[in-house]
Amino acid sequence: MSIRRYLMLIIISIITLIVFIAAIQGYKASMLQAADLFDVQLSSFADTLISLEPQKNNIKVSSNDTLAFQLWSNNRLISKSSNTPQQAISSFKHGFSEHNFMGKRWRVFSLKKHNTWILVAQLLKPRFELAEKVILSAVTPIILTIPLLSIIISLIISYGLKPLQQLKEQLTKKNINDLSTINMEHAGKELQPIIDTLNRVLSQLDKAYEREKRFASDAAHELRTPLSVLKINAHNLQYELGSDNESLNNLMASVERMVHVVEQILKLNQTNPEQFSQQMKKIVLTPIVQQVIAQLYTDISARKQIIEFVDNNIEIYGNDFCIATLAQNLIANASKYTPLGGQILVSTLQHGENFILQIEDSGPGITEEEINKVFDRFYRIGGDCNNSKVIGCGLGLAIVKHIVVLHQGSIKLSISPQLQGLMVTVTFPSLLEHHHTVAKKTVEVHS
Amino acid sequence: MRILLVEDDLPLAQGLQISLRHQDFAVDHVSNGKDALNTLAFADHDMVILDLGLPDIDGLSVLKEVRKNKSAIPIIILTARDSVEDKVQGLDIGADDYLVKPFDISELTARLRVIERRLGTANSSIITIHNVVIDTLAHKVLVNEQVINLAKKEYMVLKLLIENAGRIQSREQIESHLYEWGEEVSSNAVEVHISNIRKKLPERFIKTIRGVGYTVEN
Repeated sequence: MSIRRYLMLIIISIITLIVFIAAIQGYKASMLQAADLFDVQLSSFADTLISLEPQKNNIKVSSNDTLAFQLWSNNRLISKSSNTPQQAISSFKHGFSEHNFMGKRWRVFSLKKHNTWILVAQLLKPRFELAEKVILSAVTPIILTIPLLSIIISLIISYGLKPLQQLKEQLTKKNINDLSTINMEHAGKELQPIIDTLNRVLSQLDKAYEREKRFASDAAHELRTPLSVLKINAHNLQYELGSDNESLNNLMASVERMVHVVEQILKLNQTNPEQFSQQMKKIVLTPIVQQVIAQLYTDISARKQIIEFVDNNIEIYGNDFCIATLAQNLIANASKYTPLGGQILVSTLQHGENFILQIEDSGPGITEEEINKVFDRFYRIGGDCNNSKVIGCGLGLAIVKHIVVLHQGSIKLSISPQLQGLMVTVTFPSLLEHHHTVAKKTVEVHS
Repeated sequence: MRILLVEDDLPLAQGLQISLRHQDFAVDHVSNGKDALNTLAFADHDMVILDLGLPDIDGLSVLKEVRKNKSAIPIIILTARDSVEDKVQGLDIGADDYLVKPFDISELTARLRVIERRLGTANSSIITIHNVVIDTLAHKVLVNEQVINLAKKEYMVLKLLIENAGRIQSREQIESHLYEWGEEVSSNAVEVHISNIRKKLPERFIKTIRGVGYTVEN
């Protein structure tokens, strides 16, 4: 149950209950007052009657009249109002009492003067009516204000719970990678300790995360420098011993492989979703693909391959580092598996709502059984690294797949109709599908 | 060509020195940022190979310091950091090029050669590729020992391609090299220049990489 609803229900119930009790008490009090008032009236009526000394006959009054009287002298009825019976309406005893006659309940006052008993009576009903009127006029406005009171209370509760609502909003818009602290200006004494604790936990998490990231980068440095040393010194040895030394060539090939594996593992870590989901933006594929081709061009032209890029100015929602890694792996793969003098065709196109990056080559292509396996980590076409002449570690396509998933895209391998080799089709969802999330993010930033 | 190598990893520095000497570069080595700044203050080096992870002063700070003194000496950054931000930051501060470890020695020498050609401080100001010779001092181009006439912009395009032989230059790169900011450029200006140059040069000297740019092969 929400705190708001709970508070509303309790407060409104208590107010209603109190109003009800007050009404009963008020009714009782006004009843007593009314009785006093009427009793004074009744006794002064008796006094008046005595001083009038009514004649000894029946005095006609309307049957609706709320007053009645009887005069008795020596146990004889000497005068009465027409709305009384022939019998005495009360016992001859001084003071107030209540009696029934003529089918109604009366308040009777008895008074003895000389030898005459004066019995005056008044209907009880008007007393109740008066009390009811008084209490109703007192209670009605209170009852009528209960709905208004509810609205005011609801507003006050909402206002009082506002910091909680703000905290809720801040927390909901936080995604899993956002470890920034929560800032609230008017958190209140009760909420502040919670926010402080939360911020402490968040900043600890953030530090741990930073440490982990720095560790990855430090590890990269630690691996990259000795690998550079290995590479350069092997290269120097080759220069001095000539390039036909078999041991040295094996050494250099192994160093290359190691470099490759380390690079791919680092890339796999660098492209993890935790780091990149925050850094997605609208990017144009053209310059990214151009740069990747330019980077790889030395190898491609060394293999006497012809590469072409058919560009259609495609914009996607993504991360440029990831997309560059994806393009690099796919184009490098195409070059590696395509024989000398082969052809590579890179194209971007729009197909309906979707955006496509396509890489085709004139290499041997891929068999049906291999299509499903190539995305597994460390799987290599044609078996272990030693059996094929191509340098690699089988991580490339796993990374590609990983990046595609990160971008909510899909990847398909098939045979290129144009070049008869492998055709890799990477499909990215339309920008429209991201508009919603982007718009939401913008709103959150401004709120 | 005298190079100052700033690298704290001794085996790497030694290996690099040997490699570069094989390629006829003269290499001096210092292993921290302070020494690098001191050396650059009075010694006469043509370019710097700078490792970013130095023990005392961070490589980027060394770079900033050098550029603060208005020195335009070409600086190639060597680093194990390869994030896009790191690269952009290095280039923004004023590095001429950026190489991520572990690199191919051939890649490094290729980039050194590009800078060398640009500086014109190689043995001569003459670059020869196949049967095309460009004299960057005399602004002359010879094909099969015959001087050919090139318009100013055509010469600039050819010089850019030859200086960066083996690397692709995109149309945007060529454009930004030819025209000042705000200058009106027709959309096919680069294509027109290339086509004019091609008429005067041997066939297939300038290669088109369709959709990417142009290159002259080494």
